[in-house]
Amino acid sequence: MPRRVRTTKNLAKRMDLQYFKQAHPLRSWRLWLSILIPAVAVVWFAAQRASSQKIYSSGPLSAAHSVLGKQCNVCHVTTLGGFRAKVSDDACSKCHDAPAHHADKAIFTVSCGSCHVEHRGSPRLASTEDASCTQCHANLLTRGGNPQYVRVVKGFDKQHPEFAALRPDARDPGQVKLNHYVHLRPHLAGPTGPVQMDCQDCHRLTAMDGTWPYGMPQPVPQPRPSVGGMNAELKHERSQDYMVPILYVNQCAGCHVKDLQFDKRFDQAAPHDKPEVVQAFLVQKYNDYFASHPGALSEAVAPERILPGTMKLPLPVPHTRQEWIDQQVMLGDRLLFDKGCKLCHVMIEGSPLPTVAKSSILARWFLHAEFSHDSHRLLTCTACHDRTPESRQTADILLPRIVSCRSCHEDRGPRHDAASGRCSECHSYHDWAKERPTKGTFTIPQLRAATSR
Amino acid sequence: MRIDETHRKWFIGSLAVLMIAVAIYVPYSRTAPQGANGGTVAGLTYGSIAFAFMLFAGLLGARKMVPVWRVGRAQAWMRGHLWLGFLSFPLILFHSGFRFGVGLTTVLMWLLVVVFVSGIVGAILQHFMPRLTRQRIPLETVYEQIGRVRSQLVVEAQTVVEEASAALAGSVSQATEQQRAASASAGTIGGLTVASGLQVDEGASDQLQEFFRREMQPYIAQGGPMGMALADRNRSQSMFQQLRLLLPPNLHPSVDDLESICEEKRELDQQTQYHRILHGWLLVHIPVSYALLLLGAVHAVMALRY
Repeated sequence: MPRRVRTTKNLAKRMDLQYFKQAHPLRSWRLWLSILIPAVAVVWFAAQRASSQKIYSSGPLSAAHSVLGKQCNVCHVTTLGGFRAKVSDDACSKCHDAPAHHADKAIFTVSCGSCHVEHRGSPRLASTEDASCTQCHANLLTRGGNPQYVRVVKGFDKQHPEFAALRPDARDPGQVKLNHYVHLRPHLAGPTGPVQMDCQDCHRLTAMDGTWPYGMPQPVPQPRPSVGGMNAELKHERSQDYMVPILYVNQCAGCHVKDLQFDKRFDQAAPHDKPEVVQAFLVQKYNDYFASHPGALSEAVAPERILPGTMKLPLPVPHTRQEWIDQQVMLGDRLLFDKGCKLCHVMIEGSPLPTVAKSSILARWFLHAEFSHDSHRLLTCTACHDRTPESRQTADILLPRIVSCRSCHEDRGPRHDAASGRCSECHSYHDWAKERPTKGTFTIPQLRAATSR
Repeated sequence: MRIDETHRKWFIGSLAVLMIAVAIYVPYSRTAPQGANGGTVAGLTYGSIAFAFMLFAGLLGARKMVPVWRVGRAQAWMRGHLWLGFLSFPLILFHSGFRFGVGLTTVLMWLLVVVFVSGIVGAILQHFMPRLTRQRIPLETVYEQIGRVRSQLVVEAQTVVEEASAALAGSVSQATEQQRAASASAGTIGGLTVASGLQVDEGASDQLQEFFRREMQPYIAQGGPMGMALADRNRSQSMFQQLRLLLPPNLHPSVDDLESICEEKRELDQQTQYHRILHGWLLVHIPVSYALLLLGAVHAVMALRY
């Protein structure tokens, strides 16, 4: 009996030479799966497409636009015979119609979507990437050759200049004399005794309690901060962003009313107003006094009303009612204009009356940026305004330096456990003061019907 | 396909393309106002090139279906499939800015991952498995004919058993004392218990046929080891050694034949296993590739629209 021998020749004899014509399970599976899986993909796609066009979405919409999640055609307006449906600036302008950065669009024109990239699920679409700004501001080129602003700004912590108000050539336009050091000293003479003043005694946000510790009993409503119309540029300015402007009646009068006392015979102080008003007040007061005090001509002048060096001495003796009134008013004018008013104001000599230099206290120092005190409320005032307690000069600009802001704000803040340092944190590209009104086109049922599909 | 020195040009070319793509992507992703994404010029370029590569890779199937096409050598197509298909993955990542997106784009990205990973696995298998198969299965047969060969092995084994049984019936008395004594020490052969030495010769034929019927035939007839004793080479050797003790020496060549048949069956099983590993990944790679190309085309059109 021959032994079994395995050779390739023997093996070949076992083959069915037509084997390749027969379907094999592995090949059959491959064929059927090649039909089935693409078919499943097509069915899935068709099912998704039937419910909405969201299947084409490249990402979730921003928070503000999420209500339009299934209303693609609100932004994607079809053109080119119905095929092309790119988002045009016109679609954006239907709801957000504001001029661009430059009125002359020939300088720099970009589409809305190049900066405000949708379908990223961003909580705030207005918060654009720094690259949107630095594509120009990293090397600012202008037609004139000399840009109005700093030429190279690459980010908040990369080549951002010091704040304009703190640069060497900057000056405080304010004309009211104030010594922060004195005001923050302990045992300062207050309305009813020694006090220790605090920053918030004078500097507050509008939303806070309307009464002031060192103001008149009846506070005066504070106007909105305004600096040459600049605040109008910023659409998103909120009521709690900026400190209310300083007003004499609210922040100063409690202590400084005595500086407007002009005569011990009167309890009432002179009004905190223009010299003309003040003088009219004095004339009226002394007329009334003379009428009720016929012997006033013989009353001596109180020595504290005579300011040495500001008037000729001895004072002439008045003989008539008018002479007496004129002399009393003159003394009051001197006491107020040469002493009381000058304590805080810059008085400009004039005839017959001086004028008061305009206070020009800036309510906002960042003329091209937004800032919110409210967002920084967890900090003490001196944490940022660190030079304030030692400031003795009115001209001291006590704005925090940029390095102070950089302690917390970084370009890639959120990724480095820091506050954001994006350009859009402070700067606004659009001039929202020139925003044109828009007209709504949706009804609530239309909007809800679309989103609930 | 082995990835050897014949791939050098493709490798260098692909590496160069990848390096260029990376060199462009790094500054692009850092300077693009909103980061890298598919909607920018660079993003669209990456996406278009990657999709073209995927289409080329997909055309390999068509090239194989019509081998007579005079459109380049099959090997060149295969190398192009491998390297361009590989390149398409990083290019798509550059296209998307390494984001998976939502909706259709997410599905596409995951399909691409599946295709890419299965392709890599396939390339590794195709590189190593053929050599391993040749080493372990020297007499490889055509995979599609394994079932047919198995049937032939059953017939062959049955013939051997019948011939041995016939020979055994005529030569029981020729068994030596030594053989009888040796067989008395036998224990269990594949579940068959040898009762005593004296019964070996008389019952040898029955036991041989019983062994064939209960152990060998089911094992050879069915595909795969199915947990049977003969599927294990050591246990098989032991069982056939017992069989040799049971049978007279003149029938040992028959036992050798039966053992050889079982060995061949084991090799067929191993070949089946290797073949499934070597080609099984294609059950994922090819169908998912078609789905990817289909939905990718939709994505491309819709990207132009929106």
